[in-house]
Amino acid sequence: MYNRIKVDPITVEVLSNAFMSIAEEMGGILVRTAYSTNIKERKDCSCAIFNAKGETIAQAEHIPVHLGSMLGIVKEITKKYDISEIRPGDMFVANDPYNGGGTHLPDITLAAPIFHDGEIVAYVANIAHHSDVGGRVPGSMSGDSTSIFQEGLRIPPTYIMREGKLIGDIMDIIKLNCRTAFERTGDIMAQVAANTIGAERTVDIINKYGRDVVLSGMEELLDYGERKMRAGIRAIPNGLYEFEDYMDDDGIDIGRHVPIHLKLTVRDDSVYLDFTGTAPQVKGAVNVVENALKATVFYSMKAIVDPHLPPNGGFYRAIEVYAPAGTLVNPKVPGACGARTDACQRVADVVFGAMAQIVPRQVMAGCNSAVTTVVFSGNDVKNDRFFVYPESLGGGFGARYNKDGLDGVHVHITNSSNLPIECMEAEYPIMVDRYEIRNDSGGAGEFRGGLGYRRDYRILQDTVFGSHGDRQKVAPWGLEGGKDGATGRFVINPDTPAERVLPSAKSSEIQLKEGDIMSAQTPGSGGYGDPFRRRIEAVLDDVINEKVSVENARKLYGVVVDKARRTVDEEATKALREKAGP
Amino acid sequence: MSYKIGVDVGGTFTDVCMFDQDTGEVFVYKLPSTPADPSEAIGKGVRDILDLYDVSPAAVSAMVHGTTVATNATLERKGAKTAIITTKGFRDLIELARQTRASLYDVQVEKPVPIIYRNMRREVDERIMADGSIFRELDTAEVEKLVDELKAENVEAYAVCLLHSYINPVHEKKIKEIILAKDPGAYVSISSEVLPEIREYERMTTTALNSYIGPKVGIYARLFKQRVKDMGMELTPYINQSNGGLMSIETTFDNPIRTALSGPAAGVSGANYIAKLIGIKNLITFDMGGTSTDVSLIENNTPRLTTAKAIAEFPVKVPMTDVTAVGAGGGSIAWIDNGGMMKVGPESAGAVPGPVSYMRGGTLPTVTDANVVLHRLNPEVILGGRMKIDEEGARKAIEEKLAKPLGMSVLDAARGIVTVVNSNMARAIRVVSVERGYDPREFVLMAFGGAGALHAVNVAKDMGVHKVLIPSNPGILCAVGLLVSDIRSDYVKTSISNFVSENIDRMNANFKELTDKGDAWLNEEKIPADRKVIIRHADMRYYGQNFELSVNIPYETITEDNLEEIAKLFHQAHKREYGYCNEGALVQIVNYRATAIGRVQTIELVEHQREGEDPSAAVKGKRDVYFEEVKGFTPTEIYDRDLLKAGNVVTGPAIIEEMSSTIVVPPGHTAVVDNYLNLMISYED
Repeated sequence: MYNRIKVDPITVEVLSNAFMSIAEEMGGILVRTAYSTNIKERKDCSCAIFNAKGETIAQAEHIPVHLGSMLGIVKEITKKYDISEIRPGDMFVANDPYNGGGTHLPDITLAAPIFHDGEIVAYVANIAHHSDVGGRVPGSMSGDSTSIFQEGLRIPPTYIMREGKLIGDIMDIIKLNCRTAFERTGDIMAQVAANTIGAERTVDIINKYGRDVVLSGMEELLDYGERKMRAGIRAIPNGLYEFEDYMDDDGIDIGRHVPIHLKLTVRDDSVYLDFTGTAPQVKGAVNVVENALKATVFYSMKAIVDPHLPPNGGFYRAIEVYAPAGTLVNPKVPGACGARTDACQRVADVVFGAMAQIVPRQVMAGCNSAVTTVVFSGNDVKNDRFFVYPESLGGGFGARYNKDGLDGVHVHITNSSNLPIECMEAEYPIMVDRYEIRNDSGGAGEFRGGLGYRRDYRILQDTVFGSHGDRQKVAPWGLEGGKDGATGRFVINPDTPAERVLPSAKSSEIQLKEGDIMSAQTPGSGGYGDPFRRRIEAVLDDVINEKVSVENARKLYGVVVDKARRTVDEEATKALREKAGP
Repeated sequence: MSYKIGVDVGGTFTDVCMFDQDTGEVFVYKLPSTPADPSEAIGKGVRDILDLYDVSPAAVSAMVHGTTVATNATLERKGAKTAIITTKGFRDLIELARQTRASLYDVQVEKPVPIIYRNMRREVDERIMADGSIFRELDTAEVEKLVDELKAENVEAYAVCLLHSYINPVHEKKIKEIILAKDPGAYVSISSEVLPEIREYERMTTTALNSYIGPKVGIYARLFKQRVKDMGMELTPYINQSNGGLMSIETTFDNPIRTALSGPAAGVSGANYIAKLIGIKNLITFDMGGTSTDVSLIENNTPRLTTAKAIAEFPVKVPMTDVTAVGAGGGSIAWIDNGGMMKVGPESAGAVPGPVSYMRGGTLPTVTDANVVLHRLNPEVILGGRMKIDEEGARKAIEEKLAKPLGMSVLDAARGIVTVVNSNMARAIRVVSVERGYDPREFVLMAFGGAGALHAVNVAKDMGVHKVLIPSNPGILCAVGLLVSDIRSDYVKTSISNFVSENIDRMNANFKELTDKGDAWLNEEKIPADRKVIIRHADMRYYGQNFELSVNIPYETITEDNLEEIAKLFHQAHKREYGYCNEGALVQIVNYRATAIGRVQTIELVEHQREGEDPSAAVKGKRDVYFEEVKGFTPTEIYDRDLLKAGNVVTGPAIIEEMSSTIVVPPGHTAVVDNYLNLMISYED
């Protein structure tokens, strides 16, 4: 307990700095101490501090979708356990989307209560994406699983530490269920270390400023986040805006698009998002549990309304989200959700699409909006060990009202970095033949959409391949007259007689032979504005740099370029552009 | 008679500093920089200072300088016309980078435009594997054709970076040979020479930048050398590097990238020298200027180095002094955001329009204005009486922009500004200390820069730091740093192996390869044997990790006997950095590093005679100053720093003013003047 007192805005700012320092320090420890490449090099993890009610006070910003697991964890712990039995030095582990506050099984959350004078005053937690948590496929997140029970070990909130002592039995269960048990120990110990430091530092702050000041300050910070979000929403006209976009498929019913529908209402200083009209939950692994949906909506609203909102949960209070139970965006057990990020990305595009009708300068055009993911696994013959190598691939980031999109990046709810090719080749029996920008994959526009890329893997010994992704059928949309970007694809042995295009982005257990090439070609993104209004020099630049072909420069932009001479035929261009008319 | 000259070239001014070796006296001369050819101002400045003090050029025995040519060429994108040659399929490495975006939520986020456009990035059909074996041979005819094409396009510089060249450089070397044969005037760097280290993107940006700035820095370095010679000086001029060491003109020519972030390095070297002189081993430097603040950590008189820095958002993996910059300083503007929170910075009023109280047109309240209202800064005149201060203006601006909207008094708002900026500073200090496993309480905070001494004591207290050192002549720290540095060159080699006795021979061979290179370089630089030092480091990790820690190897060779000992050093480093270690686990070496050091020079500063403790002769006035410690204004003695003598003890509350800065000594603190006229401020709990 504490007394809520008025804390002046200056002390609140000082505390805000202190909490961010703690979350960032936790993030630093986790990234640096983890064993697996996924956490270390790709930073696929997040850390946060919560108040006793489970509201986020500060989150180190690594991966927005992790917000989802952060939303649920404390609530799930307090639902399951009597607070009075939790003791200092205890720590919990959880990953289940339906019972553990998680969003998919590979994201394992570790949470710890923070005690002060014998009472829980706050929590710290961190999430890390583990490269395997068991289940039917290596990597545990195949796009074509049809039940959560195929996706790996389900962990409800469970003690992993009691009074500072690790519970070996729980660790043993986790390790026994994971293909790369060795890594799990190291990664989980890194998560423990991050929480331990985070809790210690928070207690230091409480001792320094006083319990009432710090805990009241946490509330002030939340109020502040809420005020800022409401101020931003108030600047947006009231109204009801609708948008719909589709996923390619669910990985099972190939060829059947999956609609995501949104009615968004802006009312004074709050927003209401109603996903009624979205497809029923699907067989495939792209179901988005409620926490993941909320995390995606919160990310989107923050990006659109005010990217400078403090990284705490106060602003959530201005946003209400509704999705009928049993739908893609609020599934019931045993809906599979391993590849939920692909659907989350589409949810973000849908929110941006709705908001584009109100605040077109605060959004970008449709993005690559999948988390194109490849997973290679097998027994490494040379080193005689089983390996799982997952990699998520970036693509186009949509054009804005005033500038081109970005090429080859992760968008929306994810931002993990790639694994250096040299490190990958030193570790796995796979080689990369090319890693290059896909020409002509950006949607044409006055501002061009960002381009996707192509990464060709050469298989050096027989290997199993699995994948998920999307936007291989439904293209990223343009805005205000901008054209759609290119869709992506997976191709085995491209440009050979044996070429085989995978029917869906979501696949598993594809046997690749030594010498095969697996070519991942990621989607681009939409353009913004009429391409015939694009500056002629910008089109020329794109042709010289081979981001736009001579043919497309003429056809899509009305610019006639002599590539060898690096010049524009101005008369022909004028004629083409005039013919098209304004 | 012997003199040493250090020249620090800044964006606006060039500072020339001359030390008289016999008396320890320091002479300083300032003149406007000449950005078109910075060596022009250097030449003029040196001639002027020699004339002014009637010193013959022949009496000058050392000449060292820090240059920003490389930094500016990169930031302003004014490097040479450069082409990249890489492995087929990989020309976009430099553009795809690590596929992340700099901001998660910002719809307007941008990616840095590559310094070398796509059409100037060319490929050759070759391939080396991770184990160094050749998968596809280099086709020399293809390379020859490519170089002909690039030459026809008037390329001035080539950067060659092939996959896995760190383990097998044979193809890169061949390409270099072909380029030099076909285009002898061109500047060429190959990644296996610039940075033979695993991780292709970072190696490529580092190599590309080296070539991009190479011609410019090379020409400049030779101009500089010529000017020194023309003035009649018989000496080897040196250039400062980002790692805090010096290098000759010839080394600079091949490795211009090593100067890329050398600016802050000299200041850190200077600070370290001063600290060493008075027996302080562990310090955190705190250089707070008008728009930004630089912080760095020195442990055991060794500045921390890093290879994780970027310039213009491009990673540069050569070792650099680890300086963290924060976008807040004395000129930072305080404002209220739309959620009603007070923020300070990152907007700065700069020199123009400047703080409100400077009366140069500024209307927005800054940190400086808050200090004026609190009377920590002289509310009437500064700069020794040359500049008037408008206290009323500062007060009004704070009232209108902050106090009224927040519903608080002007005084509380002013206190708030100082508190918020101090907490920003404390966060920066946490980044360099706590987040890297150091306890700041074991360090002395050394403050300099225009606003450093104003805030240092409060920031220190926030962090539990008990001692704050204010150096005697902060304006010359950089020049001091230049003149006390050693020449230094870092070598690296990637070769991943388990740290076990079966690999001892291989590990020693790797180290020997590097130390031989270092030794050969020191010989080229004509360093006598008694002034040579070679230090070995290894980047180590636990098996399965993909992130290394650099560990100092205190042995010339690894043997069965010291293997354990070295592994233990790694476990300790891991424990310090990350809070745990895993003594049973298998350890690997990833990178071998050697640093070759040649001690070329040093200086002796004047030591002053100790006088009495009584500082009253230095009192120049009295005013009411606000102190957080007593939550109010207190009559406070104002001292003139130039009149303080070695041995004087100033008891807080006190304000000590000098030409370019103001030192705050709060109640409960004492400031002691040491024999070099530094001030040590401390408090007892």
